[in-house]
Amino acid sequence: MNETLSGLVSRYSPSGSEKPAVDWLVGRMQALGYTQSFVDGAGNAVGVMGCGSRQVVLLGHIDTVPGELPVREDKGVLYGRGVVDAKGPLAAFVDAIAALGEIEGWQFVVIGAVDEERDSCGARFVAAQYRPDFAVIGEPNHWQRVALGYKGVAWAELTFLRAQSHSASRNQTACESAFETWSLLHGYACQYNAGKPRAFDQLLLTLRAIRSDENHLRQRAILQIDTRLPPAITPEQWYEQLRIFAGDAEITRQSYAVPAWTCEKNTPLVRSFLAAIRAHGGTPSFVYKTGTADLNTVAPIWRCPALVYGPGDSALDHTQDECLSLEEYQKAVTILVSALTNLINRTENKLQNTTAD
Amino acid sequence: MNTVNCTECDAAITLSTGTEVGEIIVCPDCGVDLEVTSLDPAQVSPAPMEQEDWGE
Repeated sequence: MNETLSGLVSRYSPSGSEKPAVDWLVGRMQALGYTQSFVDGAGNAVGVMGCGSRQVVLLGHIDTVPGELPVREDKGVLYGRGVVDAKGPLAAFVDAIAALGEIEGWQFVVIGAVDEERDSCGARFVAAQYRPDFAVIGEPNHWQRVALGYKGVAWAELTFLRAQSHSASRNQTACESAFETWSLLHGYACQYNAGKPRAFDQLLLTLRAIRSDENHLRQRAILQIDTRLPPAITPEQWYEQLRIFAGDAEITRQSYAVPAWTCEKNTPLVRSFLAAIRAHGGTPSFVYKTGTADLNTVAPIWRCPALVYGPGDSALDHTQDECLSLEEYQKAVTILVSALTNLINRTENKLQNTTAD
Repeated sequence: MNTVNCTECDAAITLSTGTEVGEIIVCPDCGVDLEVTSLDPAQVSPAPMEQEDWGE
């Protein structure tokens, strides 16, 4: 069994309790010959290979959702919490860069970020620490696919307060105001989504909870609304829209909102992955996700060619059935090595041609 | 100059200098996206399919 993958998966690391896995990964990268490895200021595991001026950051996450699962291998498949989301992709980054070794003029930074499943504290920290030339984010998308887009998110709680009144008074109750607002929002989203066949381009609302209570003075109703945003609507624009529909309700923003992000597909980085997948017998495809990843946090700041790559089936994310074929894992490592080699060659050739001109 | 034929409409497309393997080009006749899969000899394939998926 692959030592990096099994070692990571064996160290249960739900968000907030990543340290044992982080310490182990730092040691593992040191043992694999990384130029340096350390725990950064946010508690992320960082491994650096080489010291060149052209930098590639490979950002995975080391935390998982809670819910420990027995780690076992059966017929070439590894089971365990996080093996798909997203220790498989992170371990593949670690093994691929170890296989690549130091390359003159280049620096590869592998990061196992903490807290991705909550507020992305790890990614927000590294967003300010690096300015890479290229970025690869680790999430499961199958070895033949390159993910180019993740939707944004903006969560909010809307609180409606009304003075207590007699039910015969015909005054609108707090619950009625909340229900009316949800109906308006739902109608707005349906209208916005008309003619947009891709879920990636749609405004997706989820009413996660409704709570209400009252005392002898006032009534209160609370809506908890999660929104998955398309690229055309930023979190700030959405919160302004909520304000318009919510009337006098108090709007409380929850968690960290992030905008959707779409990667440019005609870049040397994407081309390098397409060529690598084809060279190893695959048929590449692009994928756009309805979820959110650390890509949404770092890409708007780094603004460099980026993509999301990693082995595994994201339909298994957060489930009790998380598992990863070791054959697919090894294939992904091979693709990463091949793609990064392509990227280096393309960049160096282009520089030589520019110099010659 | 490398010339390829569109896989959809057979239009002749001249690849510009500096074209790279893996580059996505657009057929000027039918508008389909094509991926340059080889330069010597010049070859194109239909560009990767675009899919949607649930997942973080």
